[in-house]
Amino acid sequence: MIELLPHIVNGLTLGLLFALIALGFTLIVGVMEVINLAHGSLFALGAYFALATIGGDWFAGTEFGIWWLSLPIGTRYVAALAVGPLLAAASGMVIELCLRPTYGKAPLYGLLLTFGAALVVEEVIRLAWGTGEQNLTVPQTINGAFLMGGLIFSKYKFFAAAFALAAIALVWVFLERTPYGAIIKAGSHDSEMVRALGYDLSKLRLLVFGFGAALAGLAGIILAPIWGLRPHIGLDVVIPAFLIIVIGGVGSFWGAVLAALLVGMSVGITGAYAPAWSMMSMYLLLIAVVGFRARGLLGRKSALEN
Amino acid sequence: MISLSDIPARGGSPFTRSMGLFVLLLLTAPFWLEPIGLYQYLGMEIAIWILFALGFNLLFGYTGLHSFGHGAYLGIGAYAFGLFQQNITISLWGGLLAAITAATLAGALVGAFVSHRRGIYFALMTIAFGQVFWFAAIKLHSITGGEDGLLGIPRPDLVFGPLKLDISDNGALYWFVTIVLLVAVLALWRLVNAPFGRVLQAIRQNETRARFVGYNVWLIKWLTFVVSAAFAGLAGGLFAMAQESAYPDVMSLHQSGLIVMMVLVGGGLVSFWGPVFGVLLYFIARDIIGGLTETWLLWFGLMFVIMVMVRPEGMAGLFHVLRARLPLRSRKAVGPAAQAGRA
Repeated sequence: MIELLPHIVNGLTLGLLFALIALGFTLIVGVMEVINLAHGSLFALGAYFALATIGGDWFAGTEFGIWWLSLPIGTRYVAALAVGPLLAAASGMVIELCLRPTYGKAPLYGLLLTFGAALVVEEVIRLAWGTGEQNLTVPQTINGAFLMGGLIFSKYKFFAAAFALAAIALVWVFLERTPYGAIIKAGSHDSEMVRALGYDLSKLRLLVFGFGAALAGLAGIILAPIWGLRPHIGLDVVIPAFLIIVIGGVGSFWGAVLAALLVGMSVGITGAYAPAWSMMSMYLLLIAVVGFRARGLLGRKSALEN
Repeated sequence: MISLSDIPARGGSPFTRSMGLFVLLLLTAPFWLEPIGLYQYLGMEIAIWILFALGFNLLFGYTGLHSFGHGAYLGIGAYAFGLFQQNITISLWGGLLAAITAATLAGALVGAFVSHRRGIYFALMTIAFGQVFWFAAIKLHSITGGEDGLLGIPRPDLVFGPLKLDISDNGALYWFVTIVLLVAVLALWRLVNAPFGRVLQAIRQNETRARFVGYNVWLIKWLTFVVSAAFAGLAGGLFAMAQESAYPDVMSLHQSGLIVMMVLVGGGLVSFWGPVFGVLLYFIARDIIGGLTETWLLWFGLMFVIMVMVRPEGMAGLFHVLRARLPLRSRKAVGPAAQAGRA
């Protein structure tokens, strides 16, 4: 048991990170019933925008750029944590505008359109930042390793897990304890009624998509130092996200968190015995869960079933 | 929006005008491909992908089951062909049979899991299974050769009774692929225009109603999945011959998504021939735009996004609308929809 401990810790941190990726995804699926295959691309965009912010690419060569680069990395990192998600949100809103003609048609069209959007974003990233692997630098204070109980753990992983935990808590507070959250939840429950009550549904959708995209971008910034940053990371990331959503139940907040932890644990523990096959375990988990319970663990009935 | 069901069923002879044009293009392609600046190998690649796309559309367009993991069966066919040549014996028919059998078995297994699902959940399950196969192909290093795949797959001689032909060069292999494609197209055409094809469309329109009418919907969905996987396997076997290798890349979500894009852009939802347009457009885009700029996928992706936004019926749907707007023609027919039947 004791030799499994690092793998369990690893699995839990991985699960929290997966939950962070899945949060925005589940929000969009829940409210708009759109499977956003571009979620991973927005994740990548957020990270690349952060990269450009930290490196001062936006104003390279100008006086402001030189002043900017003289600031400590910590300041620039915090700025990137704000700029990356904001720009990802703007990109997400553009995708939402493109999605409008598909509302009311089969959910397939949303899936297809976002798949096309994912391809486009990936190519744009190749154009703007090149095809090679990039490194997102993080401040020294959260970098490096530390010892605990005779085992070495990476500081950054713990920072990322704590960040994910905080993000999950904040999103939960936003959804459950603010009037905006109430409107969003109502929108996912009965959009006709929300419209009848006088809320602008298309504005709501735009904002929800932007919010989901911002969460994706944030996840990208947090995860890029662990997983590396390459143009096709979007497609690699969207798969675990959608697996988690399906296992947890479409549109269910706690379902997504629970499923993310399950997936993280199963990947972590398989990693102990058969490292090469650890990623396979999440597909098998999906097939096992959905094979017996189509709606996922905590899912409710959804229009997507038709 | 028009759909496949608006197209009248055409029993009887499959030798329509569209079929004639299709056969003519295939048979003359070796003579004009090179003069217009393309190359022989492209013709073969397109023919193989048309085979794959038409088989896929049985599932996607006709039955409305949106598989996002169909590249897996193409890949399984390719691997089976290569493994047969390397481990059992060098034989063309044996290899193709192995390719079809392997893909059929995989399809039967996956079909059993996914056939009681529909809509997005069907799509999600097929993505998961496609990823499982893709992952297995990468990780089963000793069998599949990992990320490099199987290399040096031979192009065996065509043995037909006493006849023995060497089809190892691109020109000869093109003819073989074309003949296989034509046989497959005739079979598919008969299948979708038979009563069975009408049942498939009934399932797409309203599964519950089809069940109430008395059809065993689960069995039909499963069968369609298996048949579609078998065609993919055949295409995969030919693909392994064409490429002289089999590799996991064709099984990725990316490739499975591309075949969906091709079928949709071409108009597989509204026409039997839609996938053909889609495959042609994709390869023309890849070779011609790809020759001009490295970022051709960006332009193809943008085109696809715009297509989904403004005209989800795809190119075949566009032709249909243009035809219906020509006043002279539409008066002759019962309605504009009847005209599309001939498309």
